[in-house]
Amino acid sequence: MEYILKRGIVFDPANNIDGEEKDILIKDNKIVEEVSNNAKEIDISGKLVMPGGVDLHSHIAGPKLATGRLYRPEDIRKGIKKASFGGVDGFEAGFSVPTCPATGYRYTRMGYTTVTEAAVPPLEAKDTHEQIKSIPNLDVPTLTLFGNNWFMLKFVKENNSQDLMLFISKWLKLTKGYGIKIVNPCGSEAWGWGKNVKDLDEPEPHWGVTGREVIRELTKVNEKLGLPHSVHVHTNDLGHPGNYETTLETFDCVKDIKKNKNVSRDQILHCTHIQFHAYKGTTWRDVSSGASELIDYINSHNHMTCDIGQLTFDETTTMTADGPMEYDLFKLTGLKWSNKDIEVETSSGLIPSIYSNKSPVSTLQWAVGLEFLLGVNDPWKIVLTTDSPNAAPFIRYPKIISWIMSNEKINDMLDNEVHSWATRRTSIAAYDKEYSWNEIATITRASPAKILGLNDRGHLGVGAKADVSVYDIDVNDFDPTSLQNSSVIEKKLLNTLYTIKDGEILVKEGNIVQLVDSNHIWCNVKGLEEREEDLINRIKPEFNKYYTINYENYGVCNHFIKPDTRIDVEYGD
Amino acid sequence: MKTINLFMKKGVTIPLEFDNVLPELLYDKSKEEIEQTIIYHGNQEEPLNKYFIVEIQGECDKADECTIFIDGDLYRVKYIGNRMSCGTIIANGNVDLHVGSMMSGGHIVVNGDAESYAGREMTGGILEIKGNVKEYCGSSYIGEWRGMSGGKIIVNGDAGKQLADCMMGGEIYIGGNCDILAGIHMVGGFIEINGDVDKWPAAEMKKGTMVINGKVQEMLQSFKLEEKIQNPFIHDKYYFGTYNLYSGDIGSKGKGHVWIKEH
Repeated sequence: MEYILKRGIVFDPANNIDGEEKDILIKDNKIVEEVSNNAKEIDISGKLVMPGGVDLHSHIAGPKLATGRLYRPEDIRKGIKKASFGGVDGFEAGFSVPTCPATGYRYTRMGYTTVTEAAVPPLEAKDTHEQIKSIPNLDVPTLTLFGNNWFMLKFVKENNSQDLMLFISKWLKLTKGYGIKIVNPCGSEAWGWGKNVKDLDEPEPHWGVTGREVIRELTKVNEKLGLPHSVHVHTNDLGHPGNYETTLETFDCVKDIKKNKNVSRDQILHCTHIQFHAYKGTTWRDVSSGASELIDYINSHNHMTCDIGQLTFDETTTMTADGPMEYDLFKLTGLKWSNKDIEVETSSGLIPSIYSNKSPVSTLQWAVGLEFLLGVNDPWKIVLTTDSPNAAPFIRYPKIISWIMSNEKINDMLDNEVHSWATRRTSIAAYDKEYSWNEIATITRASPAKILGLNDRGHLGVGAKADVSVYDIDVNDFDPTSLQNSSVIEKKLLNTLYTIKDGEILVKEGNIVQLVDSNHIWCNVKGLEEREEDLINRIKPEFNKYYTINYENYGVCNHFIKPDTRIDVEYGD
Repeated sequence: MKTINLFMKKGVTIPLEFDNVLPELLYDKSKEEIEQTIIYHGNQEEPLNKYFIVEIQGECDKADECTIFIDGDLYRVKYIGNRMSCGTIIANGNVDLHVGSMMSGGHIVVNGDAESYAGREMTGGILEIKGNVKEYCGSSYIGEWRGMSGGKIIVNGDAGKQLADCMMGGEIYIGGNCDILAGIHMVGGFIEINGDVDKWPAAEMKKGTMVINGKVQEMLQSFKLEEKIQNPFIHDKYYFGTYNLYSGDIGSKGKGHVWIKEH
């Protein structure tokens, strides 16, 4: 099918197109220069046009989501929506942990076409991919958890970087994973002994390995293999007052490692949901923002990027592989919680979280997230996320965009809506930056695509994937900086006029008109196959000793990932 | 004053859902409009007059002055007074699940028994049940940890299991007996039970007060007997007789109070 999207106002930062009236030509599943006379014209004169949205860090599939749905029926009862009359989209339920189909519908309506599932324990990868099959309309790269894996810790302890590299390469194939995720390195493993590690240099009790060693070794391996995405790190000490120092050390501990010359990204480390890692103080009584120091570091270094984990004032569900942190939250709130040990791979936990604009701590967290959004100079170094559903469900992205586009809105919230800790304990009131549509397109499309190393998306250049979002906003007659338009932005960005993915119209005038299978994106390192098999033969006895399943039943079979996009990476020693 | 009389034409086996039949939604409506009010019959939307004869007496300007009488075989009518905020509903007969659930104001009288979840998560108003209630009266709903937080529930008869589960505030008065785990997970509010109580009242209680004028089959050992008091003044009145004051639930680091009358 061929389309011409006529006279939209296009924001495509990767190609330096900043609000130009332009036609977008689509043929089959690509953006092209020319189409035939049979191309269907769609008049979108004056409307806001951006590439399909790319979510760099979200939790949309896997056992933690299933647990969340079972554990929080009160959340499932929220967000109930009947199946559309005569439409293709079905019943929806859930607010912070929506059902699988609802996840796909909501992202599609928001104009997002690629969403990264950010934490997949290898043992649970089958379940994750199976759930992705139930989510329509998305491309989903999955990040495999390695930061507390026993084999990884063993190789790090033995200083055996060759076997570590083979292990990572093989495990990405087994789990159909796209990249390396590190969560509270060594801390989640220490949780198996009822402990945590409090900083980068405290050794894990069983292996005696530190978080610093894990992050450095996995970063080296990542660059040696030349994976398209960098290591994706949830640093130690999440959510603890005083943790900004650990975060700074984490940024700094890899800066001497050389980036692989074949990769298109700039960073060698991506620090996720940085808002949760940026607090000064010693307790929740004297906590304050540590964002300024981290922002200064980000602004002056190019080897790392971050996403925000911006909080909104909602009742949501936190879920993470950082088991000890969830226990800390339980001790703080006393709410019902769930905890799980994923054999020799990681821990995990889940607990509801209530963020209120009357709560000093919630307000501080809200302001810290905004400090990063407003303080980092280069929008290519940051990405808008809510660590969905941890800080807020992903359907709050439009609300956050409405805040950062209007200084008037933020000031109004500071004056009238939120607790005074926002102004007393953070620097949020000092910022007067207002995002432009081009910068919004950068932090929601171009930047995450580049950071992920997915060069075929996040832009509308010739040859790019035909993923396009068109919003019912007349760009030239609309003032996003006005306080009154804040709710309009939120409403309009929640429902696209058109969402086009791979050249297929999925949303037309706010209604979902087509459902397609989600695409599993994974990374395949070529050139190490024989050495990987040799490694497997050596570690299989240990594997079968410590796991409850046999190695032969461990990997994700191909039928779990149809359709898929395999990204081949040639290993060159 | 406006009175809306609803006479059930015949009993149903598939439940009717009455959450659209509230004083605040109907006080300014004509008879014809009320007859066309949509209610659910199972998963089907139906007009109210398919199952009820509607009669109206008087007029009113405010929902507070509106009373809805519901009469007939109501044992499969759910959600009577659900989310009600003002006015009065009087139901003559036994009613199904969720009567007065999440109500924030007004007055509901049930001249009969009520099924489970009566007054669940209510925040205000008065719910009077002349007969018995089944399980989870004044409690939270499945998965939720915030139960009744305000208002008053008065039950003349007996109450089923897990009365006031996760209760945070408000008052509950039970005239008869209570089944097991009355006041479980209670974090606030006041409960008075005039009959006997089955095992483990106030289990995992954090705060709040419970008075039991009957006998208790078994008290949890994680409650500490503080003292015996003659004719104590509790909540807002004197209770005559000798009462044992327990505090707990120590197992949950609770600081609630349970007063049990000596017999």
